[in-house]
Amino acid sequence: MDIKKAYFDLIKDRVSDAYERQKDQIRAVAEMFSACMENKGVVQLFGVRHGEEFVNELNYRAGGIAPFHGLKLKELVLKELLKQEEIDSGAVYEDLSVIDKFAQIYDLDDRDMYCLVSFYGNEPLIVELASRAKEKGQKVVAVVNKKSYDLCAGKLLDYADLYLDMDADEPDLALDIDGIRTGQLSSTVCNVIAQMITAEIYNCFVSKGKEAPVLLSANIKGADVHNNSLTDPYGRRVR
Amino acid sequence: MIDALRFKEEISALLDQLYDSQKDNLEAVAQAMKECIEKDGVVHVFGSGHSVGLGIDIKNRTGALVPIHIMEMSDFVTKGGVPVDEFMDKKNIFERKPGVANKLYDLYDIKPQDIFFVISNSGINGIVIDIADLAKRNGHKVVIITSMKHTLAEEPRHPSGKKLYEFGDIVIDNNGPHGDALIETDGVAKVCSVSSICNNCIAQALSARTVELLKEDGYEPPILTGDRQHDDALIKKYEGRA
Repeated sequence: MDIKKAYFDLIKDRVSDAYERQKDQIRAVAEMFSACMENKGVVQLFGVRHGEEFVNELNYRAGGIAPFHGLKLKELVLKELLKQEEIDSGAVYEDLSVIDKFAQIYDLDDRDMYCLVSFYGNEPLIVELASRAKEKGQKVVAVVNKKSYDLCAGKLLDYADLYLDMDADEPDLALDIDGIRTGQLSSTVCNVIAQMITAEIYNCFVSKGKEAPVLLSANIKGADVHNNSLTDPYGRRVR
Repeated sequence: MIDALRFKEEISALLDQLYDSQKDNLEAVAQAMKECIEKDGVVHVFGSGHSVGLGIDIKNRTGALVPIHIMEMSDFVTKGGVPVDEFMDKKNIFERKPGVANKLYDLYDIKPQDIFFVISNSGINGIVIDIADLAKRNGHKVVIITSMKHTLAEEPRHPSGKKLYEFGDIVIDNNGPHGDALIETDGVAKVCSVSSICNNCIAQALSARTVELLKEDGYEPPILTGDRQHDDALIKKYEGRA
């Protein structure tokens, strides 16, 4: 079989499985997010390594919901609060001072909640982010690969109100090419889950007779005016 | 009714359409990647905004090809001397600027056998077009990944009046809709974007097919296996390039 087709087919199968197994959790997460947003809160997103793809999928996205905000290590590098090498080596994920640095550059608010994404869910930085949010009474949603999480005795779910499973294998290598293993599914399945959440948040807003704050692609004529009207009320809290 | 089920069904149909319409282009790109890698070349990947995700998904993880180099927008600041305030200015958006791309292009160790992936859903902004133009002028094979529906519906922002796809030796249409969002609503904006999902599938399919083609040629595919010694040696081989 054509290996390219095999990947497309695998993704479709895994997306179907993820939907069947997790549709109730996806809806519950969307309800939690939209409740936070209706209270003028922002959903703060943070992802470890490839978990950042999930962050990007929800943060200031065409066809996405406005009140999300990504906590980006790269922005700490741009502001010279972090060295790129700490990201490349992975040392940053054990450095708890990053949490204070985020607080320094971002406008974080007690009305916000957190959505934290990690394949293993065991890095000290993300576990501490979750723990501090819980201490302040903020809601936490976690996204982990449950098989991998269980294998390495992750801690993130101890602080999560709800969680979603990336539904990938451990290790995440779905294709075998004559003994060579490749083909990661987790990030793409996660992206689909993120868009399912987006659809459900939209549903939460409109079913209450409210207008959903949906962003336009910045590369459509007139989009800047529409998008700014949704994000300006939040000042620096989003984007 | 707009909900998770609706999105699941629509994205599945779109992925079928993407594969069926682009399978020959995907095969041609995998062949180009194979030829590049066999000559110790590197695939340089550039995408502004969310488009860079295509490169990220097939990089720095077990099972990933090593000779993939992501040209990061942030390198403009960290290596290219662009002030951070100019780079992050939300009113005068940096990715739309023509005439600055050489500041990025010139940072890298680019060899004649290298090929380029330039990714943009709209394909109308200054920097992506300039990068593709620079690569082409320097004799490199250029692969464009774009949404033809989107790019044909918008006016170009580049002074040449051209759009990104016009610079491609091979063009992959990610089949995304105009504006990236898939589902029509009662309001002005459609909801649920698809480009990252489509682009990840394109990237993973290309990566897997390239590994297969290399293997068929008897060339050991340069991928991370999780074996420290093997992986360190590979990373060293491409040090400073990828």
